[in-house]
Amino acid sequence: MFRFDRRLLLNFDWTLLVTVVIVAAMGLANLYSATYSSEAGASSYFFRQLYFYLLGSGLILAVISVDYRILLTLNYPIYIITMALLCIALFFGDSVASTQRWIDLGLFRLQPSELAKLALIINLASYYYRKDTGKGFTLRELVAPILLTGLPFTLILMQPDLGTALMLAVIFVSMTLLVKLKARTIISLASSIICLIPIAWLYVLKPYQKRRIFTLFNPELDPHGSGYHIIQSKIAVGSGLMFGKGYLKGTQVHLKFLPERHTDFAFSVWAEEWGFIGSIVLLAFYCFLILLALKIAGSARDKFGVLLCFGIASLLFWQAFINLAMLLGLLPVVGMPLPLFSYGGSSLLTTLLGLGIIFNVGMRRYMTSNP
Amino acid sequence: MNKNHSLPYMQRTITRINKLDEAELFILKKRLAIATGVVLTLTAVIILRLWFLQVNKGFEFEERAKVNRVRALRIVAPRGNVLDRKNRLLITTRPSFNVVWTREDTPDPALVIKRLSKILGDDITTILDRIRAGEDIPKYLPLLLKEDIDWRTLVYIENNHLKLPGVRIEVVPAREYLYDNLASHMAGYLGEIDRAELEESRGGEYEGGDRIGKQGLEKIFEKQLRGEKGVLMVEVDARGFEKKQLAKKEPLPGNDIKLTIDADLQVAAEKAMAGRAGAVVATEVDTGRLLVLASSPPLELNEFVGGISRDAWQAMLDDPLHPLPNKAIQGQYPPASIYKMVTALAGLGEGLITPDTVVNCTGSLRLGSRAYRCWKESGHGMVDLTRALAESCDVYFYKIGLELDVDRLAFYAGSLGLGKKTGINLEHEKSGLIPTADWKRRTYREPWQPGETLSIVIGQGFNLTTPLQINVMTATIANGGVIYQPQFIKEIIDPDGKTIRNFPPVRTGEYQDKEANLELIRRGLVAAVNDPLGTGSNARLNEITVAGKTGTAQVVQLSHVEDIEEEMIPYNRRDHAWFTAFAPAEKPEIAVTVLVEHGRHGGSAAAPIAKQVLREYFKLNGDPKDRRQPE
Repeated sequence: MFRFDRRLLLNFDWTLLVTVVIVAAMGLANLYSATYSSEAGASSYFFRQLYFYLLGSGLILAVISVDYRILLTLNYPIYIITMALLCIALFFGDSVASTQRWIDLGLFRLQPSELAKLALIINLASYYYRKDTGKGFTLRELVAPILLTGLPFTLILMQPDLGTALMLAVIFVSMTLLVKLKARTIISLASSIICLIPIAWLYVLKPYQKRRIFTLFNPELDPHGSGYHIIQSKIAVGSGLMFGKGYLKGTQVHLKFLPERHTDFAFSVWAEEWGFIGSIVLLAFYCFLILLALKIAGSARDKFGVLLCFGIASLLFWQAFINLAMLLGLLPVVGMPLPLFSYGGSSLLTTLLGLGIIFNVGMRRYMTSNP
Repeated sequence: MNKNHSLPYMQRTITRINKLDEAELFILKKRLAIATGVVLTLTAVIILRLWFLQVNKGFEFEERAKVNRVRALRIVAPRGNVLDRKNRLLITTRPSFNVVWTREDTPDPALVIKRLSKILGDDITTILDRIRAGEDIPKYLPLLLKEDIDWRTLVYIENNHLKLPGVRIEVVPAREYLYDNLASHMAGYLGEIDRAELEESRGGEYEGGDRIGKQGLEKIFEKQLRGEKGVLMVEVDARGFEKKQLAKKEPLPGNDIKLTIDADLQVAAEKAMAGRAGAVVATEVDTGRLLVLASSPPLELNEFVGGISRDAWQAMLDDPLHPLPNKAIQGQYPPASIYKMVTALAGLGEGLITPDTVVNCTGSLRLGSRAYRCWKESGHGMVDLTRALAESCDVYFYKIGLELDVDRLAFYAGSLGLGKKTGINLEHEKSGLIPTADWKRRTYREPWQPGETLSIVIGQGFNLTTPLQINVMTATIANGGVIYQPQFIKEIIDPDGKTIRNFPPVRTGEYQDKEANLELIRRGLVAAVNDPLGTGSNARLNEITVAGKTGTAQVVQLSHVEDIEEEMIPYNRRDHAWFTAFAPAEKPEIAVTVLVEHGRHGGSAAAPIAKQVLREYFKLNGDPKDRRQPE
């Protein structure tokens, strides 16, 4: 049924794999430190994340063994299943910190909003791929992608999870900007977004989210409340100085001043222990990883592949950028993991699945006909 | 197998792929290049920000990281001890154990509360009240659940700490009273520092929650007793939990206060006063040093150790025996017949009487339309000065009063230290009142009436004195005319045992007239105790000659209920009983003054108490005649 093609292996992007492995190793080492305690040693977080990597590697192998074009037939089933999971999480899911994000699967708790990011990318890619006439999209043709984005966006906002919801919007904007739009479309879209911002401020944002935006500009306003995260993160990062305090020696981390140090604020741990130099090294690998993904996008054999790769690359990039900007005090605090770095099974599996699709597109770039 | 099994849909897709033209690919690649540019630019933004935080401002954040994790914990110094004149420990400091609870560390609060209720023996509601009171305290900070638990509870909690997650024991120094409530008013007590006191201490010696002297010598000698706090630098985590000790400066214990009080004598005095309201004062006549300063009933000092409860405080306020004021220095009572000593000295000094003057007491003296009665209705017959003092004949002194100017009388009273504060180093001392004609004009806008002098000469009317003032006067008469400031502190001793301050006797005045007249008074006082008809015979000792004077101070004029049975008079309308004495009469060493509120008769209520104090004194110090032999 499936005949193995040598060219697939030849075209496999080993550089990207090595880069991913290096960043993943840094992330794991950092997670070990972030959750390490002198009394208990390594934490269960570390091992759980390791298992997720093993599971994720299996998923990558599964994903690359089938031509990515199968997604063109599976896009709607994937979309419908994801939306159903989001509804289940919202109405029947586990409540953690008064948010409804998780579905308990026994072995681990699935966060369907992470899968929704990937589902959205696949659907937008297939829509734009199929509908592209080469003359540019009109506003009417954008109604479908807006609705495709709007449904998961609303469901996730209701959880409430502003960070992930915004991420969907960012993916939509990035991918839509890649395809050709009519000039009129761009103007009307831009103006409607400008109109939507005040409405969102008044009716959508929760008070704690508004507070976070205020405290961004002056975190000292509320040092024990919403400003605490930013202040502690900046102290941890800043006190790392040029060369850092050394692995496992970050005081702010190990004395627990830094909140959410194994999830969203994982990079602050890295920056405190490895300093400016270590941070630059990590950023370089990250940047390289994104650029490789973009390069694969550019060499894809068809536009679907381009859109898929670009969508995933933008997902990885924007998550990383928003996460870093947030914990360096440049953006308000929203829930946003750093891919391959923050602890979290659903996020990690989503990232690895996405990378699998990129590998897939890269491997099949020279296959112009059905094998 | 058919490899072209794919859906027709797939077939169309494949056709489409082949349509991807060069122009479109070019546009896409251009846009991907823009995306690459965006990625690089934003990465540069992040790098610049990192440079700013870690390199530019790095040292600033490093400093803040240090502030974050290093806490300077104050270690409360052990408070100085209080010793008696024979170096016996009266008040010291012991560690006390409080139960605190960090709610954040407790997964199942309900279970822990239930267990604590059983262990501490408190109702669950009591514990919940405490928790509710601390609602404002962040959950990661310890909440005080119970103060000063006993050893058994402490051991139980320590052994079962696994069953009580989040519950800890905190050690703080607390006052320990080795002689229970001995000299409680003089000792005073500690309380939590209040906002005003905190603002007043600019040196930063205090912080909120500190216990500070609130009354008595604890307050007056706060600076000596408190010592110097130590500092423990600890590394803490975000919850404030101690992780590592970095450096330690040991606290410096406070200085000890050595009192002039003799614990045995004070115990004897307080025992004799048990169940009664009043005061006992005893001093060394040649120094003014206090041997006893007792106010009865005493304060329950242990009630104050963990902060006094509202109920305990209300109970003290409601107590009919009024335990709160220090009656020895704050209680103002008419001196009654005690004052006859002053009248006698004034009569002698002004030449109105001589030692040989004899007055015929018929039981009353008529002035105008009113008869001034002697306490002995049948009269004393012919009395001279000695007998007048011994038997406390009112008529003898009325006679003096007929000719005596009230202002002259006030002069002699002032010359013995009455009418003004003695200057004892305690707060809230009252000055008493010695009336003058001028005082009456100022206060009542009325001239002095001659009849009023007749009340004054026997110590009734406007006169008011404190037991301490009467004691000072007695000592002054006994020592030949020197007024000493009453002192209760002998030395201040530093923690190494070195005396850093001595309190030598302080003379504050002198009797302004002939010494010989004082001798006449002393003779009268000896007779009062030792003559068969003397009013103070209840204070007589076998080996030692005691000299003393009784007094019975009217609380209300009872002339219209003269015939009422004494037992029928309500407690708070009964007369106050006075007795003041010195001994040995030949060479006085100690002056003792006793006031029993509503004790009715000085001779029957107050004199026996003075006798017990004197007997104890000579038992402790030996008979002076034996003592003097080796010299």
